[in-house]
Amino acid sequence: MLTLFEREHLDVNNLAEADTAIRVEQLSLRFGSKPVLENISMSIPKHQITALIGQSGCGKSTLISSFNRLNDLHQHCHYSGKVIINGRDINSRKENVAQLRTQVGMVFQRPNPFPMSIFDNVSYGLRLQGINTRRQLDEAVEQALHDAALWNEVKDRLFEPANVLSGGQQQRLVIARALALQPEILLLDEPTSALDPLTTLFIEELMAGLKKRCSIVIVTHNMQQAARVSDYTAFLHQGRLIEYSDSDTLFTTPRKKQTEDYITGRYG
Amino acid sequence: MSKLPSLSSVLNAGQRQSLFIGICTFFTAILLLAMVSIVLLIFARGGGYFWPEDIQQLQFVRASDDQPITAYGQYQNQFEQGGEPVRWVVYSHARNPYGNQTLLDDTNLLQARLAPEAARISLRDGRAILGEPLKVTAPSDPDVSLNRLAQRLTQVRQIEQSIAGIRDEQLADIHQKLTELDQRKVGKKAPARLTLNQGFDRWHKRILTLEKQRDAYQLFVRLADQSIVSVALIEVEHLVYPGQLSGWQKLGEALYEVGGFLSESPKQANTAGGVFPALFGTVLMVFLMTIIVTPFGVLAAIYLNEYASNNGLIVVIRIAVSNMAGVPSIVYGVFGLGFFIYGVGGNIDALFFEANLPAPTLGTPGVFWASLTMAILTLPVVIVATEEGLRNVPQGLKAGSYALGATKAETVLYTILPMASPGIMTGVILAIARAAGEVAPLMLVGAVKFAPNLPIDAEFPYLHLERQFMHLGVLIYDGAFHSQTDAKGASMMFAACLLLLVVVFVLNILAVLLRTKLRKRYHKG
Ligand SMILES: Nc1ncnc2c1ncn2[C@@H]1O[C@H](COP(=O)(O)OP(=O)(O)O)[C@@H](O)[C@H]1O
Ligand SMILES: [Mg+2]
Repeated sequence: MLTLFEREHLDVNNLAEADTAIRVEQLSLRFGSKPVLENISMSIPKHQITALIGQSGCGKSTLISSFNRLNDLHQHCHYSGKVIINGRDINSRKENVAQLRTQVGMVFQRPNPFPMSIFDNVSYGLRLQGINTRRQLDEAVEQALHDAALWNEVKDRLFEPANVLSGGQQQRLVIARALALQPEILLLDEPTSALDPLTTLFIEELMAGLKKRCSIVIVTHNMQQAARVSDYTAFLHQGRLIEYSDSDTLFTTPRKKQTEDYITGRYG
Repeated sequence: MSKLPSLSSVLNAGQRQSLFIGICTFFTAILLLAMVSIVLLIFARGGGYFWPEDIQQLQFVRASDDQPITAYGQYQNQFEQGGEPVRWVVYSHARNPYGNQTLLDDTNLLQARLAPEAARISLRDGRAILGEPLKVTAPSDPDVSLNRLAQRLTQVRQIEQSIAGIRDEQLADIHQKLTELDQRKVGKKAPARLTLNQGFDRWHKRILTLEKQRDAYQLFVRLADQSIVSVALIEVEHLVYPGQLSGWQKLGEALYEVGGFLSESPKQANTAGGVFPALFGTVLMVFLMTIIVTPFGVLAAIYLNEYASNNGLIVVIRIAVSNMAGVPSIVYGVFGLGFFIYGVGGNIDALFFEANLPAPTLGTPGVFWASLTMAILTLPVVIVATEEGLRNVPQGLKAGSYALGATKAETVLYTILPMASPGIMTGVILAIARAAGEVAPLMLVGAVKFAPNLPIDAEFPYLHLERQFMHLGVLIYDGAFHSQTDAKGASMMFAACLLLLVVVFVLNILAVLLRTKLRKRYHKG
């Protein structure tokens, strides 16, 4: 029972290779001439939930979007430094970005189901991978919906349009859509900020269960949520990584003054 | 000098607002009135073309030579001229039973009475006789009663068919064989040739007898002035007694006329008959144009919106595209003529069809060049509407697709294009409506007022895209310019207008339905 309270923590600032899901080395990023991330180095542990907190506009979304190169969609985005996943620097020009994104799934702030049926939403990524046989798709879709704790609610209407679902259901659908590809890493960008508290709790529980299957990085500006769900927490401020440690330490005994100010609500 | 009181001092805020609303309402109402009257006019004049007017027995003084005339006539339309009511009248008269027209002043009209006994006898060539059918004769049958008319009509048509059958099969066959013999230089007295000649004579005689039989079928008609004319029954296409029809029967008759209008060729220099070739030409041209313009416009818009980086060149291209939409259409016509027909077509002729020169093969106006020209003319419409549709695709959905490992092309294909489809539809439909109504450039690149053949027929390669074609707009234009004084022609022109209007309405309604359906599907929630 005691282990429940005294979790054994890894030292994220000195993480062994085998425990690392993502290693960020001196990552800097600017949009046009506006610097957004400055010289960030951090290691994200495998099969743990890592939270990114910080004021809005500090670069949280930009940081997790650099884990699946989604910033490439913006024309004036320039970056330097390395992001290493599975031993590869994904910022290298040789990286197969589409392939990478099947390994690093992402869920956005606003639920964004495609205007298709529930089934087609979940099978979208699989079809792109060339999986077309009905049986494989059926199985994968059912599994993914189970994993996202949505199966029981939608099993009778898989072929109805996805946008008739409620907001929370849509968000779980989007999670299922990402899980269908069996990603190693799941990025969640403020996944609950558009949802009501009850649905939020539901999704938080879901995350705890998903931990076994993949490493999770969650962006949130809700400190309670970060404290509740995450094992490790990083605090960003104006594009810099200020403090990064296990969540218990960070929320109870922050080392930096800025962190303390933020978590006690003195700004932001 | 006393200053005029300003508006604000006379009216309080509420009154000013209602004044403003009043003015806006007024202008909107005028606009509405204009639109409604256009539609009403075209429906009335165009629809009137099909309605069987009652036949009247008229006595009037002809304005041109002060001759008193008794004739069966039909009123075409009435209007005021210098305060006097006047009307166009078509009538049949002994000197020309096939329809004269005159503008009749009411003061010149001596007497008019409804004549239910008179029929309108439409002939195959588009003309019509107004008169009272008396009898119908047939070879070697003394029964001339009118009750037999339907039967006689079928008989005479059967004869006509057998004549055509002999011509098409037997005679054509013999002709072909004779030509073969000619080519092989077989002698004049060769037995093969003699049998063929005999066969030819036999069939020819058969045709002559059949023709004699056919011509013995005659319909005798009495005109209002008691003179009697006869027409070959084979010439008669349709016969109605408008005065004996009930309202519903008249409607049926009108629908029959509409059917003929849609399925027949124009007759009497586009003043009678139907518009089928023009309708067909319009649809074919628009169809080809859609096939050409849609991929070009959509791909160009996708490139501009999704692939091209936002630099100066793209801005210039965008400005050029929106300016292209404002270029007068005749300029496109001249471009099509100069570039496509003389340039591209001429060069293809020089390269591949040298044997036929100087007669052009492709370097001449035709339906394909017309479609191509119209595709360029409507390209900006499609590009602009598609871009609009592409811009409306939420950024979040694109990101969602990329985040699932889709490449750019896959995202465009599976997410962006379906969501932009309502916008694309809008563009294509606008393009179609524009192309269906355009006249000036088409006359330069292939539309003609009369084309002997459809661009599709049974002759290899079946689809003749190099042929000239007829177009509803051109037909209307032709009607307006060459038949000004011909009230009947004007009605046919209005009927064509009505058809064009209906085509465009139907297209638009289809577009709206399709668009709302797609929108519901892709933009719910
Ligand atoms: N596409 C973009 N172009 C230019 N600036 C951007 C773009 N996206 C984000 N930014 C800027 O980068 C900064 C960080 O944004 P973001 O990572 O979204 O912050 P957060 O998620 O922490 O609220 C903001 O100041 C924002 O203005
Ligand atoms: Mg954000």
